[in-house]
Amino acid sequence: MIKVNRTETLETRKKGPTRDIGLYLRKYWQLYLLLLLPLIYLAVFKYSPMYYVLIAFKKYSIVQSVAEMPWAKNYGFEHFIKAFRNKDFIYALRNTITLNLLDIIIGFPVPIIFALLLNELRFKFFKKSVQTIAYMPHFLSWVIIYGLALQLFTPSSGLVNMFIQKLGLPAVHFLDDGNNWVKTYIGLGVWQSFGWNSIIYLAAISGISPELYEAASVDGANRWQKMWHITLPGIRPTIIVLLILALGNILGSNFDRPFALQNNLVLQNAEVISTFVYKNGIKGLQFSLTTAVGLFQSIVNVIFLVLANWFSRKMGERGIM
Amino acid sequence: MKKRIISIILAGTMVMSMAACTSSGGDAEPTGVGTPDPETPVTQDTYEGDHNEIEGGNAAELENGKFAETRKITVEVYDRGNDGGTDPTNNMYTDYIKKGMLEDHNVEVEFVSVPRWTEVDEINNLLAAGTAPDICLTYSYPTIQTYADMGGVLDLQNLVVDNKNDIPHLWDWLGTTNMYWDKSVTDGTLWAIEGKRANNNRIVTYVRKDWLDTLGLAEPTTTEEFHDMLVAFKDNASTLLGADADKIVPFSCSVDVGWRAALLIESKIDPNISDKELYVNGFDDRKLTENGTKDALKILNGWYNEGLMWDEFVLHDGDTVEDDNMKAGYVGAFMHNWDYPFRGGEDSINANLKRLVGEDAKFVAVDCFEASNGEYIKYCDSTAGDRKIFFPTTNDEPLASLLYLDWISDPVHIEYLQCGDEGVTHTVNADGSYSFMTATGDPIMNSGQNIDMTITCNGLNLSTPELTLKSMYNNYPPCDPEDVKKANDVANNGKKPAKNSKITTIEAETGMGEALNSKRNVLYDTVLSCKPEEFDAKWDELMNDYLTSGGQDIIDERTAAWEKLYGDKVTLE
Repeated sequence: MIKVNRTETLETRKKGPTRDIGLYLRKYWQLYLLLLLPLIYLAVFKYSPMYYVLIAFKKYSIVQSVAEMPWAKNYGFEHFIKAFRNKDFIYALRNTITLNLLDIIIGFPVPIIFALLLNELRFKFFKKSVQTIAYMPHFLSWVIIYGLALQLFTPSSGLVNMFIQKLGLPAVHFLDDGNNWVKTYIGLGVWQSFGWNSIIYLAAISGISPELYEAASVDGANRWQKMWHITLPGIRPTIIVLLILALGNILGSNFDRPFALQNNLVLQNAEVISTFVYKNGIKGLQFSLTTAVGLFQSIVNVIFLVLANWFSRKMGERGIM
Repeated sequence: MKKRIISIILAGTMVMSMAACTSSGGDAEPTGVGTPDPETPVTQDTYEGDHNEIEGGNAAELENGKFAETRKITVEVYDRGNDGGTDPTNNMYTDYIKKGMLEDHNVEVEFVSVPRWTEVDEINNLLAAGTAPDICLTYSYPTIQTYADMGGVLDLQNLVVDNKNDIPHLWDWLGTTNMYWDKSVTDGTLWAIEGKRANNNRIVTYVRKDWLDTLGLAEPTTTEEFHDMLVAFKDNASTLLGADADKIVPFSCSVDVGWRAALLIESKIDPNISDKELYVNGFDDRKLTENGTKDALKILNGWYNEGLMWDEFVLHDGDTVEDDNMKAGYVGAFMHNWDYPFRGGEDSINANLKRLVGEDAKFVAVDCFEASNGEYIKYCDSTAGDRKIFFPTTNDEPLASLLYLDWISDPVHIEYLQCGDEGVTHTVNADGSYSFMTATGDPIMNSGQNIDMTITCNGLNLSTPELTLKSMYNNYPPCDPEDVKKANDVANNGKKPAKNSKITTIEAETGMGEALNSKRNVLYDTVLSCKPEEFDAKWDELMNDYLTSGGQDIIDERTAAWEKLYGDKVTLE
């Protein structure tokens, strides 16, 4: 079907551009009609709300529409200046970057390694069960994970600490000491997501032609060499795309994970932009300030995304844009 | 051809379904206006609809206190989500109010529930969305001030004066004190009126009476004795708790240290502190910036490091683990609302202790944090300082709303809402006082003395003060009235009610409440649980952070505002 279409298009193209488009549309208008719906969805729910980023440049008022609100001081940049003078915001910025970088450094390779290991397993049943168990935590909400963490890691009544204390060692403050908290945060994140994230790699691996492995076996390659020279290069494009996406989110932060896990004693390490925006914007009523912060966050994310994409193209890989 | 038809149908149905989704919101408007249904959530649309309809009819005039045409208002009510409670928007008491308002004023009342424990967030959301109820209440005046600055709140000044004759009960009950408590001295605006505390008891220290008896200890009367008692609890944990000895918490405290150790903190304040000093440092209601607070926290830090306090308090923000520890009998002492262990009927702390631990297991009130002059000073609110009632600008029925406040301020109505029906929720004793019973089903009150229904009144209020007091002691079945009496006596010993500075607007405070409260809690929690040798460094670091993040600006502006209004005077009448 697709092949036929393509030849038809090529034929019509020769007859001139205007007629070409008209004919093309007359032929495939149903497809465009169907495409219209997702486009409307994007316009209504993703693009039209963007109008309200203007709040970042205005003096917010509850009773006025965005257009009616007066512009903020300093050519509308008052709130941006205020944000960067606010040391809590700087902390939140620092923590967001630190936690996300650690997440990438530690969390990104884990699903790849897991997928490679899983791929080497011979028993199908065992492989499937391990896979299922590994991606199960993905379906737990962070509130529940925090509940589990409390049962395990609290200093005096947590299971892990009871065990540590039985060994005669002092209790470890997993959740209420700044540095330990970061480790717990990253660890729980990896635990929650590596199984799920490995699915895409497993799919990529299954797309590698078995002939390559057969040829390698004939050449006398061992399993390690096959993994290194066939499997890994085979999934390299997938790795690159996911890495670009991860880097594009370097300043993004999901809300529920840090919010569920943080407490007053670790706030210096645990406050991230999303929780900062929630506390100061929604609870503290500083809507303009936090819209400015949100806008800043989005812009930096886009810059990172474009840079990572450009870099991957430079390296000879396909980008996503 | 077939494909084409199918795709048209598919696309068509998707368009239709989307259109249906969006238009159903719009359709709700006319139905919401015509038939008020308590189940229907109130939307901005319904207000507009109501308003237009009334504008179309005759203008607002009362005849014998009644509107000619039925008006409709919405009223905020807290949802406490208590086990076995009733629907806060639809129960025996809401029906009583609805019926009365319709009969007396021809006003239809609809209740809108707001979760009690996240009320500020929730009311923020409703106000920001323009869907707040006509009558809103909150404990947070800064929230009202912030919205008033944005033009989101009605000025009540003229309303309450112009309609004075129509709202006699409200004026009688609140008096000018509460009515004008929040009135601005600079521009005369009145954004909120203060519900009245019929009882301004605040916080009390509780200890386990049966533990004292087991160890042969007397009730502590000084901070020192309180500490020795905690040590005794810890050292004798196995006597007191047996196999659960490692679960003992001699002194329990939550993340809100400034509240849950308030009596200790306040005992370190100079007893002769001036009104000016109290006002200037009054932005933080946990006394963070008062002289002496650091000494109190140092004591707490010592207790913490001696193992006398709960080492997991910071991890349990917002859950019920601490209460569960009290109910299970692991906790030796705590500070909380003056009637805290009696609240909640069969689920109250003392009732649980009796059931789970033993007949004589209970918390009793003690007075043991003496100020430097030997008095047991209790800083408390005046008759104001409880819930603040305000009308958002989306309120199109200010008069009907005022009539509502008037109606629930009628002492007869207050009494019924607090006491319910004889034989169902209370019995009358020989001396005329009430004994309250644990109600079941619809007559259950979702809050103590039904305070969520009587928003202009907090605290039992019967025909005479003696009757009120006697009945109050009986108000916490199945808890012993003697214990309640003792708690009330302790709470009243050395009371120092707040005075009204009459200064309402401090620019530097706008929008800072949340950030600074969070910083204050971080400070308290950190210095409470750090190592003793780190205490001073942590205190200085975090206090500096608090002050530079806006705390100092507030103190400075408050000082300036005070001096502008009162000059050199440091005391209020």
